[in-house]
Amino acid sequence: MDNLQSGDLTIEVADAPDAVFRCTWKGKSNERNPSETLKPWFEALLAAVAAKQGTVEMHFEKIEHFNSSTITALIRLIQICRKSNIKLVMIYDQTLKWQRLSFDALRVFEKNDDLFHLRFA
Amino acid sequence: MSDANDDFGFSIDMTVRNEWRNVDLLRTSVQNCFTAVFADVDGCHAIAMVTGELLENALKYGDWVSGDRAMFRLRVNGSANHIVEVSVQNPLKDRDNASNLMKAIDEINSYPKPEQAYRARMLQIAQSEEEAAPSRLGLVRIAFEGNCRLAATIENGTVTVTAALDLTQSA
Repeated sequence: MDNLQSGDLTIEVADAPDAVFRCTWKGKSNERNPSETLKPWFEALLAAVAAKQGTVEMHFEKIEHFNSSTITALIRLIQICRKSNIKLVMIYDQTLKWQRLSFDALRVFEKNDDLFHLRFA
Repeated sequence: MSDANDDFGFSIDMTVRNEWRNVDLLRTSVQNCFTAVFADVDGCHAIAMVTGELLENALKYGDWVSGDRAMFRLRVNGSANHIVEVSVQNPLKDRDNASNLMKAIDEINSYPKPEQAYRARMLQIAQSEEEAAPSRLGLVRIAFEGNCRLAATIENGTVTVTAALDLTQSA
């Protein structure tokens, strides 16, 4: 699985032996329509994850900023992972207030199905 | 930036070229400027986020074909009591656009807490199948993460959206 490099955003993906796909977001997600690049990359990622019956960890601790359109793309990713029965964990830096606010709000999508979790570093 | 009558007074008022890359240039500039004024790093990030989201909305929904591009303005004002107003003015596209904006702001302000408006909007997005439809999450993010009160005015073919941040309270 290739890294994503689009504008000011980089997502580095590392495929661990235990089939945990660790994706580290760096830089800024500030494109007008980030879904144009994120959606196809997510689709390729989830295909690779499914092939290995793996799980996904999205690490946001190092990202500087993302716009609301990126949050929309993340909400759609949560939905797709749940429909595909792929476990997704989002990890953020709770010492940063903006990250705490953005990600704590996503807890509305946590259910008892163990398919989506939020964790802070 | 200019000094006002109080210790922490400041004012930014500038015309902006309608290019997408200017959103991040101004967002980071505002963040850096306010970091020089306030010790509150989280507050500075909130002001910058609000600035970025308002500029993005203006570029997405403004009239950049027949509208007067000189009407694209960013204003940021603050005072010692830590109320910061960020406003963005842009040429109005059409009445539907203005109506949708006013409805969106009225809906956000109708919730007792902006957090409730934000969660409701996120759930709507999750239930929507329309990928191409605008998510319109920006305004409600401003209200929630920026701890802002939103208002909009329409005058002489322009729309001005103002977000008032109360940095004395945590969101």
